[in-house]
Amino acid sequence: MTMTRSLALLSAAALVAGAIAFTAPSWAQAQDNALSAARAAGQVGEQADGYLGFVPGATISADLRGRVEQNNIRRRALYTQRATQRNASVNEMAAAVACEVFQGRIANGERYRNEAGQWRQRTASSPVEVPSFCTE
Amino acid sequence: MRAQLLSGLGAAIAVAGCIPVQIQAPDEPIEINLNVNIRQEVIVRLERDAEELLQQNQDLF
Repeated sequence: MTMTRSLALLSAAALVAGAIAFTAPSWAQAQDNALSAARAAGQVGEQADGYLGFVPGATISADLRGRVEQNNIRRRALYTQRATQRNASVNEMAAAVACEVFQGRIANGERYRNEAGQWRQRTASSPVEVPSFCTE
Repeated sequence: MRAQLLSGLGAAIAVAGCIPVQIQAPDEPIEINLNVNIRQEVIVRLERDAEELLQQNQDLF
């Protein structure tokens, strides 16, 4: 009796733990909705240097400006950490991430700043201009 | 005259050396440098790290 009871308790605990493990990443890695919306609206975009930038002519609220700047500060911290581990410069690490972003994380309609510093928009007929330093 | 000037300079440097240095939190906007001059072989070497970094920080990208 006690054996089955403790078994039942154990399996219940395992179920709960499993549920937590399953749901944790979704809230821990929640994307900033305001930033996603600003990207979709063409106010901000990814840049070839691995950071977010403001699209010229767009009206940027103080809130949005703060979010972008915070995001870039966190990105730079990550780039710095990895670069140190790999004996690379922060700019090199940032560029390597930019390659990944340009090769798969700029959605149709979004704006981005290419290697030459020009703002472009990805459309169905104009694919993303991937920086020249990136590999296939 | 010259010795005086030199010792004055030395004193100025010594005083400057005593000023406490304050470390500030990096809350200023980052200056974006688009003057990208990156070698491809470095990118190849860092590719896996870049992928990993993206996957582990999907909230930032």
